Amino acid sequence: MNPQVTIGKTTFANPVLAASGTFEFGLKFKSVANRLGGVVTKAITLQPRVGNPPPRIYEFPGGMLNSVGLENPGFEVFCREVVPHTRKLKCRVVVNIAGATVDEYGELAARLDSEPVDALEVNVSCPNVKEGGALFGQQPSVVEAITTLARRRTTKTVIVKLTANFVDPVETAKAAEAAGADAVTTINTLFGLALDGNGRPFLGGRNGGVSGPALKPFALFCVDRVAAAVKIPVIGCGGIMSTADAVDFLSAGARMVQVGTANLVNPEAALDVWNGLKAHAEQNDLGNWDAVVGRTRRRS
Amino acid sequence: MKPALCLVVQARELCTGIFSLWLEASETAHRVKPGQFLNVKVSNGPDPLLRRPISVCDVERSRVRLVFRVVGRGTAMLARVRTGDELDVLGPLGRPAPELHHKDIMLCGGGIGTAPLLFLARRLRRANRMQVLLGARTKAELLLVREFRALGLPVRLATDDGSAGYRGVVTELVEQQVRSQGPEATSQGRGRRSAVGGKPSAVFACGPRPMLADLVKRLDPIPVWGFVEERMGCGTGICYCCALPKKGGGHVRFCEEGPVVKLNEVVL
Ligand SMILES: Cc1cc2nc3c(=O)[nH]c(=O)nc-3n(C[C@H](O)[C@H](O)[C@H](O)COP(=O)(O)OP(=O)(O)OC[C@H]3O[C@@H](n4cnc5c(N)ncnc54)[C@H](O)[C@@H]3O)c2cc1C
Ligand SMILES: Cc1cc2nc3c(=O)[nH]c(=O)nc-3n(C[C@H](O)[C@H](O)[C@H](O)COP(=O)(O)O)c2cc1C
Ligand code: FES
Repeated sequence: MNPQVTIGKTTFANPVLAASGTFEFGLKFKSVANRLGGVVTKAITLQPRVGNPPPRIYEFPGGMLNSVGLENPGFEVFCREVVPHTRKLKCRVVVNIAGATVDEYGELAARLDSEPVDALEVNVSCPNVKEGGALFGQQPSVVEAITTLARRRTTKTVIVKLTANFVDPVETAKAAEAAGADAVTTINTLFGLALDGNGRPFLGGRNGGVSGPALKPFALFCVDRVAAAVKIPVIGCGGIMSTADAVDFLSAGARMVQVGTANLVNPEAALDVWNGLKAHAEQNDLGNWDAVVGRTRRRS
Repeated sequence: MKPALCLVVQARELCTGIFSLWLEASETAHRVKPGQFLNVKVSNGPDPLLRRPISVCDVERSRVRLVFRVVGRGTAMLARVRTGDELDVLGPLGRPAPELHHKDIMLCGGGIGTAPLLFLARRLRRANRMQVLLGARTKAELLLVREFRALGLPVRLATDDGSAGYRGVVTELVEQQVRSQGPEATSQGRGRRSAVGGKPSAVFACGPRPMLADLVKRLDPIPVWGFVEERMGCGTGICYCCALPKKGGGHVRFCEEGPVVKLNEVVL
């Protein structure tokens, strides 16, 4: 069995990644990271960000909301203090980038081009403050503009991480594909609001992003549709807690999967998913993932 | 770091709503230091999704003790654990409390906040002089008093209703103690060096957030190390969901830089 997956210029040893924001920079649990296909770093912005005030997490039956608010040390500190360590990981390192403006995405892409990282994941689920706070990723034209910029300014693999908040990810996936993205990640968290019982927002950042098992049916629905609509690979994400969940995402058309919230419960969750997939492949005598990927549409 | 399944060798209710679990966990028992916690899965399934952080209250040979109060769904499920069950725990997590020597240490526990101080007292008592002040609403809710006394430490109590010790909040008692007593300490407790009264050079406190804030205000500028028991995601430093604002700006990721932090440096 050859478990590798190639996306753009990047070959991953296996199809399992740790999702952005849920595994730090892959440095806390290196022995886990080393055995994954790769880790996606938490979002990096040009300037440092202190993030949202607490509380930043709210739990509900089936999932959670977070409002971390992209806390990160900023691009320069990341390159100086984090990259020297991530470059020693044995897995692929994908840097999740978030811009405050369209141009910032271009600048981040350009400056990362010379860094020893493997790929960029363009996080378009950030509020476009200049345009009234709607997410960049809610308009196909903006996704196209950001992807074009990133594509032009880096030679590295470019993955666009889509949002499904009040936008059909099929449209934004097509826009990303047209602009030269190597793959799309489907999906980021969904908007959510939690109240404290007295009518006030619970989270320090007011609104949050829903993740965890509750997200899975919708994420799977999105992957199924997006994979049918674009030729570039789809990376499935949303509520993957187990190998069975990962098999579902591959079946729906994902070439790779990202494990997010599950890492919070068990830092070895992504590795468990990969070990389970390997066993699944052996049991079913798979030579590669082609028989599984997209089989849902082939069967229905 | 893999979660471990630990046998519950004793599960018991200490007083209404407060439970004690002894776990057989030799690796954890050998590695854990005061200030650290375990992240406990309270169900087998995905609901509740997240683990519940509980401080290590005590260690005896290969066993680890957790003492917790039922405050919601997760802790209510944990309270149903029985002797002979297995518990899925991750840890030890967090940065150990600072190891001090030759200090006058005051421990101040409010309610369930008493629990993590016991292990700290056990480890710090030999190299330091120490006094313990514990508070609760009523006498029945005072926790672990016998255990602290068994360590040979002077223990003072405060209850809101005056049913045991000082009538009033424990922070008031701490302040009185610090202000009224001279710097010398009398020797007590079977020859062990322990202080009664006097200005402490370090204070460790655990309890509700208002209690911690009150204590910092009363004792200023004496440094107070507090156990932060606020919401967390992972407990392992990977999600950035635990954040305590720092006085100079930015946040402390207290699952990693804590849970014991210098309270004087954060915004409570
Ligand atoms: C480092 C640390 C050590 C702790 N040690 C102890 C201990 O030794 N004994 C003890 O009784 N309690 C301790 N707590 C508090 C304990 O974790 C909470 O009481 C518990 O998580 C509540 O869960 P629940 O489902 O019953 O409550 P719910 O209110 O239903 O929980 C909802 C969510 O909020 C979280 N939450 C609610 N209150 C707290 C809180 N005070 N701190 C952290 N998360 C909270 C829960 O984990 C859950 O995700 C500690 C907390 C921390 C952070
Ligand atoms: C605490 C937390 C922080 C996150 N931070 C980021 C981030 O910085 N950038 C990003 O693109 N996605 C971020 N996400 C979204 C996840 O990468 C993932 O897309 C989402 O949580 C859905 O997957 P899951 O259900 O497996 O968690 C974050 C999610 C969580 C729970
Ligand atoms: S709880 Fe996840 S980083 Fe502290």
